Amino acid sequence: MKRKKLTFTFTGALIVILCVLFVGIACINRVFLSFDYLVGVMLRNIVEIGMMSLAVTLIIITGGIDLSVGSTMVLSAMIGGIAAAQGGNVLGVSAALLTGIACGLFNGFLIARIKISPLVTTLATMYLYMGLARSFSHGDSVYSYPASQWLGATDVGGYVPVQIFFYIILALVFWFILAKTTLGRKLVGIGLNENATMFSGVNTRRVKMIIYTVSGLVCAFAGLIWLGRFTSIKYDAGSSLGLKVVTVIVLGGTSIMGGIGDMKGTILATLIIAVLNSGLTVLNIPIAAQTIVHGLILVISLVSYFILNNRVIKSRIVAVKSGAGVV
Amino acid sequence: MKQKLPISAEAYLGLFLLLILALLAIFTRGFFAANNVMSMLNRFSYILIAAIGMNLIILTSNIDVSSGNLISVVCLTIAALGKQNAGLPVLLIAAMIMGALLSLLNALFITKFRIPAIVATLATAQLFSGVLPLVVEGSIYDLPRSFTWLAFEAKLFGLIPGSVLIMTVITIIALLFMKYSRFSKKIYAIGNNAEAARLTGIKVNNVVLVTYAIAGALFGVSAAIIATASQRVTTTMGTGLEMTFIAAVVLGGTSVAGGSGKVLGTVFGAAVLSVIAPAVNYLGISSDWSDAIMGAIIIFAVIVSALRLEGRKQAAGGTAL
Repeated sequence: MKRKKLTFTFTGALIVILCVLFVGIACINRVFLSFDYLVGVMLRNIVEIGMMSLAVTLIIITGGIDLSVGSTMVLSAMIGGIAAAQGGNVLGVSAALLTGIACGLFNGFLIARIKISPLVTTLATMYLYMGLARSFSHGDSVYSYPASQWLGATDVGGYVPVQIFFYIILALVFWFILAKTTLGRKLVGIGLNENATMFSGVNTRRVKMIIYTVSGLVCAFAGLIWLGRFTSIKYDAGSSLGLKVVTVIVLGGTSIMGGIGDMKGTILATLIIAVLNSGLTVLNIPIAAQTIVHGLILVISLVSYFILNNRVIKSRIVAVKSGAGVV
Repeated sequence: MKQKLPISAEAYLGLFLLLILALLAIFTRGFFAANNVMSMLNRFSYILIAAIGMNLIILTSNIDVSSGNLISVVCLTIAALGKQNAGLPVLLIAAMIMGALLSLLNALFITKFRIPAIVATLATAQLFSGVLPLVVEGSIYDLPRSFTWLAFEAKLFGLIPGSVLIMTVITIIALLFMKYSRFSKKIYAIGNNAEAARLTGIKVNNVVLVTYAIAGALFGVSAAIIATASQRVTTTMGTGLEMTFIAAVVLGGTSVAGGSGKVLGTVFGAAVLSVIAPAVNYLGISSDWSDAIMGAIIIFAVIVSALRLEGRKQAAGGTAL
């Protein structure tokens, strides 16, 4: 690695990490390299987290956070499942998506209108949505229905799970939103300096409402896939997802303070986590050790970002005065 | 509210708590039976002790989402000691030291590497929860009588659990400490404006380190109460508790932006949270609703306090994470 080219650090380093992990695991165990395993297991298992990470990246870039994604996903999947049992596929899917939108809107309302900090809001709604999921399902499992089965358990051409295509489409859409649209610029602006962005004519409230709602919608969609993949869902299924999603995004180089980050990083980090999860499973490493590895990866990436931080900030943003220095 | 009432957030919460208790007294039977009250008090004691620690951390405008898993680690550590017939003093001290050390690890990440607290503690939460199952297979069980002494035998007047006594002592110390000590003023100063605090000569990093250590010791005490409640200690004793602690603190009116909040508020916050679950049961509502009701109450409390503070917040400019 050339020392001087630190401009490419984030994306470059992530690609290097991804390749090293991939090759390393493939060398130890050949099963890992089979197409069936890579696509049918590895990619398939990460799709839901990947999708939610895309949406939450937008939120974290504004300096916000959404810890309620897991609960939103479970709640919408459950209401969808219950509705589908009464009125079939169309009702089920629309109920699920509407629930997701409602959850997201509620988050957005509390954060943008009432001005409660995103951390507290989504922590509380995480409780609330999970609690609602528990009360609606009376603590029982809710089972999948044909539409979600199709989303979660169909292989296109017998090989490639259909949800992977949906992930790719979503990834492209979110990349486009963040990199190529004015909305994307507004998000970065809010993350860097919310007041300045507001005074330069951006309706920051509406922008925030939009991204939290989008996050809810994406969670609901991920919920449909999740329900189809596991054929049933319980109220506590999503309890640790919020933290996993944040891990992915932070690993992808998005600053938790907002204003820095891109979709490429999130997508690469999703792949890294996917390789790690499946790789460690292939290597017969117990789940607990995998949790440690996740934690370590997060710590290592954070510490290395800290070391590279100044240079990267200089290369990424032009002459930004960071007034909001936090301990 | 048009007119500014001279009532503090703590007073509102206290009234709310009284209201719940009054409703329970009227509409339920046996809620105030000694057994139920004592078991509620026991739950209240460990939530409150940890919430006081969490309150300190949140006052410095940091946060700790690893405390639940930290408590699990401490629970198992003292269970291993308890297996060797260690008495309560040894267990308590070990728990406090262990808690303080683990919490210091968090603080090191936050102060030395400038990792935002939520991410740092997110990472250590995963580390803590990952280490446990590797060291212990499922649980430590058949613990001796000396281990569960606090829960079953240490009773004042044969009625009040020892944990309540510990809680009372800690709460009184905390109230005095936050009111009169210099250190607490530094905590408030850092929470309000870390940079300004630094410029006035406060060693911000050191204060944060000490704050985390104190909080960790309190988590340790809380873990000791949780662990000694049964003869079996599993690897997930504390899982998810961090949310309850944060909720108690937030409910008590402490701003997550840091710098404002009182111990008394935390006391009421913890009390409300420990009453709700049993209250829901006694009111004949399915226990499946207790989480949702708890979430709704937290949101309601947060909305009320946000509306009360809105004017002040706008003056300060912007919302902080």
